[in-house]
Amino acid sequence: MKAAILLPVLADRDAVGNDVLAMAGLLRERGIDTRIFCDQALGVAEPTYPPNKALDFAGGPADLMLYEFSVGWPVALDILRRARGYRIVRYQNITPPEFFAGYSAAHVAACERGRAEIPQVARLDCELYLGGSTYNSEELIAAGAPRARSAVLAPFHRIDDLLTIEADLPLLDALGDGARNVLMVGRVAPNKGHLELVDTFAALVDGWGDPARLLIVGKSDPQLKGWTERIRARIDQHRLGARVRWLDSVSPAQLKSAYLASHAFLTMSRHEGFCVPVVEAMALGTPVVAYGSSALPETIGGGGIVWPEPDPWLHAASIARLASDEGFRNELRDAGRRRYQQAYSTHALRTRFHQVLEAVS
Amino acid sequence: MLVSTDSPDPWLERIKAEIRDEAAAARQRTPLPRIEPRVATTADPAPAGSGIEPARLDYVIADLTGADYGAFIDHAFRSLLKREPDPAGAGEHLRRLIEGAPKAEILGDLRWSGEGRRIGARVRGLLPRYLLAKFARVPVLGFVVDWGLALAGLPVLMRHQRAMDTVNAARFSDLRTLQRDCQTRFAGHEAAQQALASAQQALVAELQRGSAQFEQQLAQLQQRADALARTIEAEAQASTGELTQLRHEVHATHHWLASLQQALAALDEATAQAQAREDALAAAVGEDVAAQAQRSERQRAWSALLATRLGTGTRVLDLGSGAGTWLRALAAAGLVADGVEANAQLVARARQDGTTVALGAPLDALTRCADAGVAALTVSASLLDGREAVTRLLDEARRALAPGAWLLLRVEDEPQHYRVRLLDARSCAALLAAAGFVAAEVVAGHGGSAVLARQP
Repeated sequence: MKAAILLPVLADRDAVGNDVLAMAGLLRERGIDTRIFCDQALGVAEPTYPPNKALDFAGGPADLMLYEFSVGWPVALDILRRARGYRIVRYQNITPPEFFAGYSAAHVAACERGRAEIPQVARLDCELYLGGSTYNSEELIAAGAPRARSAVLAPFHRIDDLLTIEADLPLLDALGDGARNVLMVGRVAPNKGHLELVDTFAALVDGWGDPARLLIVGKSDPQLKGWTERIRARIDQHRLGARVRWLDSVSPAQLKSAYLASHAFLTMSRHEGFCVPVVEAMALGTPVVAYGSSALPETIGGGGIVWPEPDPWLHAASIARLASDEGFRNELRDAGRRRYQQAYSTHALRTRFHQVLEAVS
Repeated sequence: MLVSTDSPDPWLERIKAEIRDEAAAARQRTPLPRIEPRVATTADPAPAGSGIEPARLDYVIADLTGADYGAFIDHAFRSLLKREPDPAGAGEHLRRLIEGAPKAEILGDLRWSGEGRRIGARVRGLLPRYLLAKFARVPVLGFVVDWGLALAGLPVLMRHQRAMDTVNAARFSDLRTLQRDCQTRFAGHEAAQQALASAQQALVAELQRGSAQFEQQLAQLQQRADALARTIEAEAQASTGELTQLRHEVHATHHWLASLQQALAALDEATAQAQAREDALAAAVGEDVAAQAQRSERQRAWSALLATRLGTGTRVLDLGSGAGTWLRALAAAGLVADGVEANAQLVARARQDGTTVALGAPLDALTRCADAGVAALTVSASLLDGREAVTRLLDEARRALAPGAWLLLRVEDEPQHYRVRLLDARSCAALLAAAGFVAAEVVAGHGGSAVLARQP
């Protein structure tokens, strides 16, 4: 048996790239000759092959064709239609284009293309549809994928690396100055709820008078400059400029420092297919407070506080409670760590992936 | 196969209900003053937790005189000047305290200094005491007043002195008790320290033993590793020898294969040359004039007979066409003939005579014809050379001829080439009948026979 993994772009330290590289490794562990086929590979040591060779390599009836579906890519649809073996669609969700309206026409077009392919992919009658979350799987099922052939496997990640590397000590010292750090990690994009995040932080400062600091960690996109400016305007409107620290591109060591130095991880994101940063926070013992949109309630489970409404005062009160109630803070930390170990540790994900592959080999 | 989210935790739900209440209360109350993080407030002279209450401006004198010595000075600065004492100012006031200045005078100096007036804190009961203290500084009069006040307060001072004696005696007793307690504890600590020292020595000895064992085991491991390295090295050398031998054998095999290929090529060349000689020999067999006349006569008769059976314009496939005389006879009878001949010399001769004959194995040409795709077939009996050739020709002819199509076997007397003809006309007719052809007939004369049969 041979296996081909399809995706348009394979990049290092990218959620989709991490997922694909981990699955390729696990398939090889099972003795399956596996190759990755993509248009572009950025900063990865793994050899890759052009997509038009995928069918020659693993198009036969005894082969496996796995498509990592996260953007629109008609090439993959054609290959999946012509493949004769076991076909798996791994769906990591595509952000609805309306979030980017008014900020970037290119993002709107890309998301529209991707979303338009969801029904086509769902109706390919593939042997397995593997969502990164139940939220993702239900989206495919609603588009026509058979429920009986749908399963959930959380995305693979590199949190083990984050747990073992040494934190950036100068940053850790700088953040450990007595202020209560509230952390948000995620790319600076309109679906991530940064405006609500700033409102919540303002409520925390006004309602509880904490010497608090908001840490916003995530890459900003020049094409979404309008969104970044809107966040800055909201910060200025609340007169919180001195309390907000932006960390645009951080190394893994700096990211670890941000988690370790933070008293709470707060996300007000309005659309997530899974949300890896929440899992990182749980693994590193940073209590999680979140607005329960899209896949977030499922990802967090009992490992954090999730509110069904994006009320800034509710989220601010949660952070204030974490600051004042040591017992609660410790319980929530432990709950997060338990959730990570049970559902998202490398061991748990490997076991689940092998269960899924039992149907294949 | 989908998973569900976790069920709610009652403990967490209770906490969340409390948080919800707190959020509702916070929403209603006035925003608190913002306390900036330390990094953002380096210029702030009154950091949080300093004990300074900037908004408080009302005190009674007892609030400020309760502390002694440095604490008194520190508190006075923070309350009346709203700042921490500077080293020079604190030193000066401490010196005055040591020299016996009343606290009221120091408090008054701070309160009615330029800085204190700007802040304007109110200290009830301070002003008369401060004025009295200042009045005592007036020469002679102040001294008399001070003495008068001292004499007036003498009974109170005596009572205070007696009370202080009692308090001091009680404190002295407490101190003695504390001293004895400390001595007891000190003795206990010494014993514990000795026990700890003994335990430490035992631990050190055990660690030394463990260290020695570890070093011994390390040495053994090193020896094993060295032995293992030697074994690996020896095996590697042996493997290198085997590898060299194997390489020689591969090279020898390669040479042998190359020689074999050369020998096979030479054989192929010899076979081709032999075939060419055979073809030349067959083509060189001459015919006399009488034989040529006979052949022309009988082939004209056979082609006329065939044209009668087939009708003019029918396409005929001929196998073993030789130099093309038979094809020319067929063409003269109005039939369209395609010929195949294996002898390159004869094919060349046919071309010289203006007749196109395809060069190739005749039976292979028949094999390539489609099922029931041939309308008529003529075959030189010289092709029926051996049992295998006969069987193959009959099988392929049965397959390729269309229903009702005609087959003509040319059994000719004069030597076309040096091969010995094995079958006569009668035997050919019998073979065709046995193969399933019908209406087999023999037409003899002019030095040859034609065996004619039809596909059912």
